[in-house]
Amino acid sequence: MPLLASRRLAFSLAAAAAVSLAAVHGIGPAVAADPAQLVQTTAQQVIDIVKTKTGADRQAAILAVLQANFDMPAMGRSALGTHWNQATESERARFLKAVATAEAKAYSERFGQYGGQTLTIGKVIPRANGVSVVDSRLNQTSGQPIKLEWEIRNDRIADVKIEGVSMVMTRRSDFNSYIQNNGGKVEPLVRELESRAAR
Amino acid sequence: MDPGSALMIGVTRAISASIRRSVVAVALAGTMVGGCATNDTGAADVWDPLETPNRFIFSINRAVDIIALRPLAVMYRDLLPDRAQTGVRNLLDNLGEPVTAINEIFQGEPNRAATTMARFLVNSTIGVAGLFDVATSFGLERTKEDFGKTIGLWAGVEPENGGFYLMLPAYGPSNARDATGLMMDYLVDPFRILTYNLAVDWDVWQIGRYGANAVDYRSRTIFALDDLEKNSVDYYAALRSAYTQNRADQIRQKREKTDTRSELERRDNLALVR
Repeated sequence: MPLLASRRLAFSLAAAAAVSLAAVHGIGPAVAADPAQLVQTTAQQVIDIVKTKTGADRQAAILAVLQANFDMPAMGRSALGTHWNQATESERARFLKAVATAEAKAYSERFGQYGGQTLTIGKVIPRANGVSVVDSRLNQTSGQPIKLEWEIRNDRIADVKIEGVSMVMTRRSDFNSYIQNNGGKVEPLVRELESRAAR
Repeated sequence: MDPGSALMIGVTRAISASIRRSVVAVALAGTMVGGCATNDTGAADVWDPLETPNRFIFSINRAVDIIALRPLAVMYRDLLPDRAQTGVRNLLDNLGEPVTAINEIFQGEPNRAATTMARFLVNSTIGVAGLFDVATSFGLERTKEDFGKTIGLWAGVEPENGGFYLMLPAYGPSNARDATGLMMDYLVDPFRILTYNLAVDWDVWQIGRYGANAVDYRSRTIFALDDLEKNSVDYYAALRSAYTQNRADQIRQKREKTDTRSELERRDNLALVR
């Protein structure tokens, strides 16, 4: 009996919280304290861009979304791993710029046309270190839905995991291997990324 | 001392030296594995001692992929009607169900294994030899298990640690754990055993099945792999990381599911005691 009562209490508390959150975010700006809301807004922004814009316009718009909603400097730093410390100030700046451009380009080319995909937000799991993970499913028109997990830190998206594959981790492995095979310096990687961005 | 006994002593010495050396090698390998397990920083650095031969195999695989497999997969995806593709997928999945059921038993989920076998029986009969997946509409959900996951479930290490990374010829990315799993799955596969015992030309059937599986699987990974290749500066390293993370995620899901279930069972038992 007490279990049932506490469950009801928890439910009503949750409902109250949901209502108050809805009230706050109904009028509030896109950047909010609620991780699920942040993911939802970002997904909607990207879908709108893909629906309405093409080519260079689309890439610029996606870059704006990336810089507003993603913690690009932190993602870049962690993608460079231990090599970040030995990079010069200008190398770091150039690296971050090239990575942001590369990601924007990748995202704008990834969806040729909007194929009717929708994002269903699942539960939000708070972690101890101030990170919360938002679980979601990308529903496709055909085939199985794709599992997407978003890592939110300081109201910004810090990583996206697609079917368990972390964007930052994969980049880190990729960049690290490239640096090791090219003399252990950051410079060749930055130059390669810049030449790719210019293409 | 005659030459014969000198030779004998020499040989014995050589053997004992080689044994000593191999013991050292095993011990070294042990510390390396151990080191890999303790310093595990996730998928950022996958243990890849065979990187040079792996990269060599990878380049051959890619050549074969560019010349033959990917074009076939593209044609399969774009030219074959969707319903035919679903039929082929269902047929191949159905042939894989017994292996999944065997693995579910080894994973300690006999109920799940029973469901898989029920699926197999329903789809093989009402579903016309597996062409139609009627079992799902009966509420029998499909699962796909392999022995690599079974090992990963019980191994007491981080699921990112699957032993050394291995690029298999034709098959693609793998590691010590998953390659062992692949071999086990091959050995226990009732269809392989059955065709071997019944049909004269069993290898033709098997090659047809594995070939169809390869083309079908490749057709569903075109988008993801093209994307990974285009957006990486070192495709080999990016694929190595992505493969390791994806497998680790599958295993972690299995572990969590098992943990949740055992936790619920424990609570049920507690409730019964009270």
